[in-house]
Amino acid sequence: MSKSEMVVNGEKYDAKDRVRADRTDKLYEHIPEGEPLVRIENLNVTYRTDEKVTLAVDNISFDIKKGELISIVGPSGCGKSTILRCISGLLQPTSGTIMIGDNKCTTAGSDRGMVFQDFALFPWRSVRKNIEFGLEVAGVPKEERRERSERYLKAMGLQDFADARIHELSGGMKQRVGIARAMIMHPAVILMDEPFGALDAQTRNILQESLVNVLKNSSRTIVFVTHSVDEALFLSDRILVLSKRPATVHKIIDVPGDRPRDRTAPEYAQLRSEILSYLHSQNTMFD
Amino acid sequence: MVSLKYDENNRTHRMLRTLLIVVASLAVFLVLWWVVTTVMHDKNFPPPDKVFKALWNLICNGDPIGGHTLWEYIRTSLTTFLYGFALALVVAVPLGLLLGYVKPLREFTAPWIEVVRPIAPIAWAPIFVLSFGSKLGPALVVFIGIFFPLLTNIIFGVQRIDKNWLDASKTLGAGQGTLFVKVVLPATVPYILNGVKVGLGVGWMCIVAAEIYNKFGGIGQYLVDMVNNGLMENAFAAIIIIAVLGLLTTGIAEYVSKWVSRRMGMDA
Repeated sequence: MSKSEMVVNGEKYDAKDRVRADRTDKLYEHIPEGEPLVRIENLNVTYRTDEKVTLAVDNISFDIKKGELISIVGPSGCGKSTILRCISGLLQPTSGTIMIGDNKCTTAGSDRGMVFQDFALFPWRSVRKNIEFGLEVAGVPKEERRERSERYLKAMGLQDFADARIHELSGGMKQRVGIARAMIMHPAVILMDEPFGALDAQTRNILQESLVNVLKNSSRTIVFVTHSVDEALFLSDRILVLSKRPATVHKIIDVPGDRPRDRTAPEYAQLRSEILSYLHSQNTMFD
Repeated sequence: MVSLKYDENNRTHRMLRTLLIVVASLAVFLVLWWVVTTVMHDKNFPPPDKVFKALWNLICNGDPIGGHTLWEYIRTSLTTFLYGFALALVVAVPLGLLLGYVKPLREFTAPWIEVVRPIAPIAWAPIFVLSFGSKLGPALVVFIGIFFPLLTNIIFGVQRIDKNWLDASKTLGAGQGTLFVKVVLPATVPYILNGVKVGLGVGWMCIVAAEIYNKFGGIGQYLVDMVNNGLMENAFAAIIIIAVLGLLTTGIAEYVSKWVSRRMGMDA
């Protein structure tokens, strides 16, 4: 099978098919919410330099359930982002497989959207044109692009900045564009790589609330890499806690409570100190 | 009462200041020129007043020997220049993007580029004029002059592209072709324009040198004619024209380059 084709429920989709390009979530409608959508099996990543071979990710397996927001937390430099980049297809794992439904992921594609810590927006395009980029690539006609980008501009509070240039925006605004640009494609899964890591604490909180708001109206599957345990507790259905490098799965925690959540609720304080004390024990700075 | 105090935050004040500096600088230059030539008292180095008189005469009455107008000389030079420039643009832009993007190709061609690039473009002038004639020859010299700075700037620009832009595009469904057109090309535009800016300066140096081998036309040929006939005032008038035209071309390129980069949000 060529890499531009994928088989779902016995039907072939090719790269030119609009269903594949800009509504890939439709390919997995047969999978019920809460069932595994993405399966990561025996993932290994080693980095090779002239001097040494470093094992970054050590035989990790876990599922991502449809419609959930799963956070990945772990000590600094443990390989959180490496796992995310493997899922995105931007990095080839040394061994192991990543399946979305029945499809094996080999290269990057629009079925795995990504939000970057440093935004990775195109400065030569306006806000609207950034959001429409994926649709443009997929060959969606202009009127439909407009209509769809308009919805996301509104959902992310960007309607007054549609024609602004990226360098005119604040960091928080930039990441709203980044989130809209990924979401508009309706990918099967959205990968967020420390999306609020470059923002100040207040902007961070506001963006977390915006994300919760968007998820209220639209069910999405999200993998969220973060340094912040508070952020993970505020946003996630489940938290994947990793050990220090080479990363192994220490624990998967179910986070109770519907969103939006009360950040100060006592049950979160309990979980918070539990995770933090584990991360502290794994901190390589004290080795 | 009107205050004469300089205000750094006032746009008009800043512009007036710049203008004043330029005028003063040129005035001092003219005085130095006059002093040096007067002391030297050599007829090969005429003082400014004689040169400007010859320049005025050239503008009003044209070439004192051949009878061509100044405009004819300038037009010939500019046409040659534009041909060379257009050719450099057409060849260097796609080639630079390709070499910047495809590493094996870049590595393979690097020795060729590194061997040919350091050769002064002017060294090609006698060969090109002999082989391709006095129209195409000088244009090819200009081409060589513009081509290498342009090419190296573009290759550099492609390599400097933010990898995150490429990653983001891939996760938005872009294949190699789309990536090239929608990301690599626009991301490299500021570097292309910078290459053009540098290239125009070098190209303008080449045109005059190449035209020295011309039998007719071009400001460079006019310069040589005047020297050969001992009309040094006219030769220096030609040098002033060459300087002004060169300043104009690079000035325009600089302005366009800055304007476009700012418009594209990449002037950092």
